[in-house]
Amino acid sequence: MVKHVTPWLNAYLDGELPDAQLRQVEKHLAECDECQAELEQMRDLSALLHETAPADEFLPTERFVANLTLNLPRQPAQSQPRKALEIGWWLIPVGALGVWLFFQVTFSLSSVVLTVSETGLLGNGLSWLQGDPPQTRWFSMAMDLFGGQIGFTGKFILSAFNDLSQFIQDLKSRFIWQGLFATLYLGWLASWWLRQSNQAIPASTVPQS
Amino acid sequence: MTSPYAETEALLIAKAQKGDRDAFGELVRHHHPGVVNVVYRMCGDVELAEDAAQDAFIQAWLHLPSFRPGTSLRNWIYRIAVNAALDVLRREPKTPLIDLETLSMPDSAAGPEIVLLEKERAFAVQRAILSLTETNRSALTLREYGGLSYQEIAATLNIPLGTVMSRLNYARDRLKELLAPQLIDMEIANG
Ligand SMILES: [Zn+2]
Repeated sequence: MVKHVTPWLNAYLDGELPDAQLRQVEKHLAECDECQAELEQMRDLSALLHETAPADEFLPTERFVANLTLNLPRQPAQSQPRKALEIGWWLIPVGALGVWLFFQVTFSLSSVVLTVSETGLLGNGLSWLQGDPPQTRWFSMAMDLFGGQIGFTGKFILSAFNDLSQFIQDLKSRFIWQGLFATLYLGWLASWWLRQSNQAIPASTVPQS
Repeated sequence: MTSPYAETEALLIAKAQKGDRDAFGELVRHHHPGVVNVVYRMCGDVELAEDAAQDAFIQAWLHLPSFRPGTSLRNWIYRIAVNAALDVLRREPKTPLIDLETLSMPDSAAGPEIVLLEKERAFAVQRAILSLTETNRSALTLREYGGLSYQEIAATLNIPLGTVMSRLNYARDRLKELLAPQLIDMEIANG
């Protein structure tokens, strides 16, 4: 006995069978009275389901539309403020990045200018920008105490130490700045992510499963 | 097969999304008969269905700004309608009683006995549909009364295609059992 096609009859009746399967089902139906009877019963069921027409019990469409448009609440104008909010959210990290870049560039630029002017390549043209050469407290003290006694080499070594400790101080402040901005940025990312995952579809449009 | 309406629907949606009530009214005019048909079968009661249809279109209006253009508005509205019908049923826990007196029949020219018989039959059908689980009823209603394809039902109810098929199979098997006497009558009538 051939295998019955009962499981496919629903899809057959609904016109949802792919061609290959459709031919298979049709071929079987032509030979099998049992499946033919089953299909007939399903057609009857569909006819039975459609027998009652409730349409004239309801408000006619025109009156429904008239009533509804009168009763419509104000549509939440969410598109504009939302967009502004969205842009605001993007401005925060972009702004933070901008500030960070500004400081980075200023730091690098000032150290470049300092180095250049120290070598004397630019003459005294930049002395107004430079002000007093940056000195750590111990360097000034050491210069005050031994300035007259140590020679050129001593001064050079001391000044190299001064530069080194200056550099470390710069580095520390840079780390603090960068740490601050990294924290801000990560904080923003976290809140943005939370906001995104909380943005659920309105409850009434969520399908029941 | 793009009808003139389909061409203008995108335009109407864009207008309605910006708060144009007349444009929305035009969309409602087009989808109202289908929505009413679906929610009536979901609720089994004219009054409840009327409430559900009203709720559904108000929800659609409120959430229209978040509707993604290019997707099917009908599927989207039917999804809202199915859920509005289920909400209305939960709000009114009374079993919807189908009033035999007001149940309309297609051919009222028939004699009073036949009319009563047909009303009883319609009552049985509606009761059988209501006895299905919400999930199976939603799938069956969208297929039989909404005329949606399996793919559209899957998208509307947010379920896989295979689940659509199994729910329809289950719903129809159950209806065949529940409506066996009526089906036998039909078989006799058809010869
Ligand atoms: Zn067979």
